[in-house]
Amino acid sequence: MKIILVGFGVIGKGVLKVINLKKNHLLEKYGLDLSVVAICDSSGAAINKEGLDLELALKIKEETGKIASYPEFGQNIGIIEVIESVPADIVIEVSPTNIHTGEPAKSYMLKAFETKKHVVSANKGPLALFFKEITGVAKEHGVILRYEASVGGATPIINLAKETLAGNRVKSIKGILNGTTNYILTKMEKEQLDFNTVLKEAQELGIAETNPHQDISGLDTAAKLAILANSIMGREVTINDVVLEGITRITPESLLMANKGGYAIKLIGEVTDKKLEVCPKLVPIDHPLNVKGSLNVAMFNTDLANDIVVVGTGAGDVETASAILSDILNIHQSLKK
Amino acid sequence: MIFLDLELKDSPGELLKALQPISSAGANIFSVIHLRENKTDDGRVPVKVVLEKLNEDILNTIVLDLEKLDVVVAKINEKVKKINFDVVVIGHIVDTDVLDTIDRLNKIGLVVDLNLTMPTPEAESSAKMRVIVDSENLNQLYEEFEKISKEKGLLFIKSC
Repeated sequence: MKIILVGFGVIGKGVLKVINLKKNHLLEKYGLDLSVVAICDSSGAAINKEGLDLELALKIKEETGKIASYPEFGQNIGIIEVIESVPADIVIEVSPTNIHTGEPAKSYMLKAFETKKHVVSANKGPLALFFKEITGVAKEHGVILRYEASVGGATPIINLAKETLAGNRVKSIKGILNGTTNYILTKMEKEQLDFNTVLKEAQELGIAETNPHQDISGLDTAAKLAILANSIMGREVTINDVVLEGITRITPESLLMANKGGYAIKLIGEVTDKKLEVCPKLVPIDHPLNVKGSLNVAMFNTDLANDIVVVGTGAGDVETASAILSDILNIHQSLKK
Repeated sequence: MIFLDLELKDSPGELLKALQPISSAGANIFSVIHLRENKTDDGRVPVKVVLEKLNEDILNTIVLDLEKLDVVVAKINEKVKKINFDVVVIGHIVDTDVLDTIDRLNKIGLVVDLNLTMPTPEAESSAKMRVIVDSENLNQLYEEFEKISKEKGLLFIKSC
């Protein structure tokens, strides 16, 4: 399968590392021969229809910061033009997320569909804002869209619900979908530190972003919740429909109070037929949702299987790339049928 | 038969006190199971009482009498009657008239416990409230939380 990689940041680099690492395994076990024919970033692209040297691409990006510097095959070219002109089976869309407009990722996805390419995306923005439109266009063009990595990173949330729990009616989903807020609350609880001190430390460690607004305000969780609501619960909502309260007001004293009562405080996203909210909640200490550190967790309440809980890593380059790889494999298997 | 799930304070004589309104009403008790090892979050002791079938008026009188004695009637025939839960509150709880907050909540349910901490006069306080409410009034209580939250800038953190 020929791949166009759109976005060459942390996740994009992780995808190349994983493809490099698993290339032989995928070929031997699944008969899947992956070839990356184009890599795009904001500087341009490297394009070789015979397949690019992934180690070289990673080295060039590391040294120059620009994939356009790739020897012989690097060029200044727009991403839309690459998607349109380069023959490929799958576009892996991991460009930066914009949860206010969904762009430019939305346009990349639509262009990929128009040119009959399947899409694997880790991008929350377009899916949290235009889920119905995007999935509709994919269907219209007869191509597959998969987006496991957009919610929970490596934690298999969407595919678990849609495939493994197929046949069940999912009545509710609740969970911790943002590792940064979980890290902050865990650290505040454990060390009785105030919010700003822990946030600063998390930023220094690279756990929280320089601009942590989307994480701590709950917007990041809300985007993921909107995707789950649409894709698993069959609702038609956007991030703007989510009732939202972040963690900025949580104090060490409130965590202590909660602890004494047998609870932890966690930022929980919850969707049911009627509810769509992200807010801090009291979670009993021995409850499966009380996971620590930067872990993510999701609990499905279903009509047949009752409660199912999945815990995993919510972020990280290789971890997120693992979800992307599983989507690529799934497309490969579907096309073989 | 009628199955009552009660929650008693964990102190001597409470079980005897709880059985008094039942025997006074002339109801026949088939069994009493004391579940000391399954204490509730607020330290109460659950007790399951099985009674002979009664008419609804007598049963209602028993329930009212039990509640007057601070016995929580958690379930009647497996149907949840009372819910007791904790809520953590953050904000200027005292400055925004904590008595008014409690009074307003007491019109719908009952605040039975309040722990409050005020780190400094300027900083927001934190409190943990234990509230008991009829299950059918839970949504109304949540709506009141929201109203108070908007009016007084308090953040109510509910159970998940």
